[in-house]
Amino acid sequence: MSVATLVRFDAERLGHAQHTVLAELTLTLHAGERVALLGPSGVGKSTLLAALRRRLAQRAAWCPQEHGLVPPLAVYHNVYMGRLERHSALANLGNLLRPRRDAWREIQILCDALGLDGLLKRPVSRLSGGQRQRVAIARALYQAREVFLGDEPLASVDPHQAERLLAMIQTRHATCVIALHQRELALRHFDRVWGLRDGRLVLDAPVRTLTLADLDALYPDASPLTDGSRDGS
Amino acid sequence: MGPERAPGLLAGDTFNLRLARRSLGLLALCLILLPFADLAVTTHDPWAELGRMLDGLLRPDFLATESLAHAIALTVGFALWGTLLGMLLGFPLALLFHRSRLVRGGCAFVRAIHELFWALLLLQVFGLSAVTAIAALALPYAGIFAKVYAEILELTPRAPVDALPEGTGRLSRFAYAELPMVWARLAGYTRYRFECAMRSSVLLGFVGLPTLGFHLESAFREGRYAEAGALLWMFYLLIASLGWWGHRRLLPWLALGSLFLLGPWPDVDATLLWRFVSVDLWPRPLLEGDWTGLWRWLGDIPDLLPAIGNTLLLGLLGTAGSLVVALLAWPLASRHFGNSITRVMGKGGLVLMRSTPELMLAFIFLLLLGPSMLPAWLALALHNGALIAFLVARHADAFTLDGPPLTATGRYAYTLLPRLYDGLLALLFYRAETIIRETALLGMLGIATLGFHIDSSFAYLMFDQAFFLLLVTAGLNIAVDAIARRYRPRETSSHCDRRVPGDAAC
Repeated sequence: MSVATLVRFDAERLGHAQHTVLAELTLTLHAGERVALLGPSGVGKSTLLAALRRRLAQRAAWCPQEHGLVPPLAVYHNVYMGRLERHSALANLGNLLRPRRDAWREIQILCDALGLDGLLKRPVSRLSGGQRQRVAIARALYQAREVFLGDEPLASVDPHQAERLLAMIQTRHATCVIALHQRELALRHFDRVWGLRDGRLVLDAPVRTLTLADLDALYPDASPLTDGSRDGS
Repeated sequence: MGPERAPGLLAGDTFNLRLARRSLGLLALCLILLPFADLAVTTHDPWAELGRMLDGLLRPDFLATESLAHAIALTVGFALWGTLLGMLLGFPLALLFHRSRLVRGGCAFVRAIHELFWALLLLQVFGLSAVTAIAALALPYAGIFAKVYAEILELTPRAPVDALPEGTGRLSRFAYAELPMVWARLAGYTRYRFECAMRSSVLLGFVGLPTLGFHLESAFREGRYAEAGALLWMFYLLIASLGWWGHRRLLPWLALGSLFLLGPWPDVDATLLWRFVSVDLWPRPLLEGDWTGLWRWLGDIPDLLPAIGNTLLLGLLGTAGSLVVALLAWPLASRHFGNSITRVMGKGGLVLMRSTPELMLAFIFLLLLGPSMLPAWLALALHNGALIAFLVARHADAFTLDGPPLTATGRYAYTLLPRLYDGLLALLFYRAETIIRETALLGMLGIATLGFHIDSSFAYLMFDQAFFLLLVTAGLNIAVDAIARRYRPRETSSHCDRRVPGDAAC
């Protein structure tokens, strides 16, 4: 059986004009694959995700690391921004003054499912860190695209919630690439792991062939004795 | 290698030492040029006059002014509509500001001419009407808003824009991800500018527009100090209560309501207006293409070079004076010095000096000391020095002093001033543009700066000469601003944030 290839990098260099972040990158993203992206902070996970986002363009929903929310605007408007490109400028301006009925209903259902019920009219500046995180996820889900790209979207929520949110993301997107630090989550809920270390892709394997110890090897500071203790951080 | 020798006086290459040398250079230049300034006290008994003024301030007569309510309403109405129109003109220009040299140049020009000079110019066409008053505020404010709004918009965080889906239109992007991020700052600056507009609106009384300043000027000039005191208190009250009556919801109603008071609107004869703009403002030899005649015309302008010299000299004296006043006065309002009583008095004094327009202060000093450069110098130094001191004190209060307890001078010289000095100097150099603007203006009180000659040219209906002098003034302001920008401390340390330009520009 053959699976469609969504993105393919072939010995490519990723980074900025002067500075190479990832050298000689070779990898393939197949349709229907759930990929966990692991590696220490600053290793280039965000660079890889940004490159994927550029390749996939309109096919990818995007959930950035620092959320990229607009704190003075209400939760509703922040989520609505996920579909800003599908409406005319006039319709978007009108929506700032008076929410569109159809969009409001849809966003309300989405936010209820994410545990943000009753907060639609509240400015994001008055939300907690975990609530903001969920607003950012809601905005990405509202985009309703084929592939979900998330840069640590589960960083500031508790472990139980992380599982629930991940389930929501994955039921709506057959394909996803999500950067995260919770290695057990990676082993339980994903098909494949990409591991970055020292500016290279050092791990690209199906989850069924991997153990926690394999993942630990990605983190230079982790001692083998503290196995599992990093989870949920 | 032998023992390291202690450095000599002011030697060394630390940031603060460089700043200290720069400021001492400014003061030295000031001292060298001091003999050229006319600083004579020409009144016989300034102390008795001062006593009468203070008596008027302590025993104000609130019933002496006829139509006081009307004057207050007009002051507020002019300020509101001037700010509003300035904002509407300035905002679109701000969007083009960094892209178009023409827009930047145009904005620099309109803001280089003081509101009162605009009023003098517009007066010739629109008479003593609300159109003159509102346009005189709105035109320079449009230039100021364009510049400051553009600076604020430049600081918009990038993250929300980067998070938007691809293909989002320019307008949607601006309305959702850019404008909301800076809205609070834009609104805060606009509010501050409205306070400036209140002061300028009062000043418009000096050219005859019936605001509070009109009554203030005549009361002071005719020695009715009880009435003048009442008007001054009225003005301070108006500024102090701004937060209460200037509420966001109330302002639109005030603006609409004031429309009924602003009339009657002038009839403008289009042909006369065109004649004024195309003929009256330009030297006749220039229009006739007579170049030798133009040279002679230029020579006929009385005392052009001394006027420019006086303007620059007063600007320099004012800047140096502000530095000294700010250095001496900021501890008065800081929580690190004195007790609660001295602080309340210090803060009160600084706010009072800051709220009083320079022209008003200079006018009061002029009555006390007689016509020379001295009253203008005092006014510039006190007003601007107090303004800077107030902001520096606010900066100082953000620090907590830990470490061993020090004496007051120790705290001043070793802990606080080294951290505050670059911010103070940056404020001073930002202020230099305003000081030179006001320097020209103070000529209207009879001090022989450019403003004096502009005022008298208008009085003798020599519009071509007045307009030329206005252009010279504008050019001078732009040049001084460029110089000040060059010498302003750039490598500011972390605590001196970029809020500074907005706070200091008024």
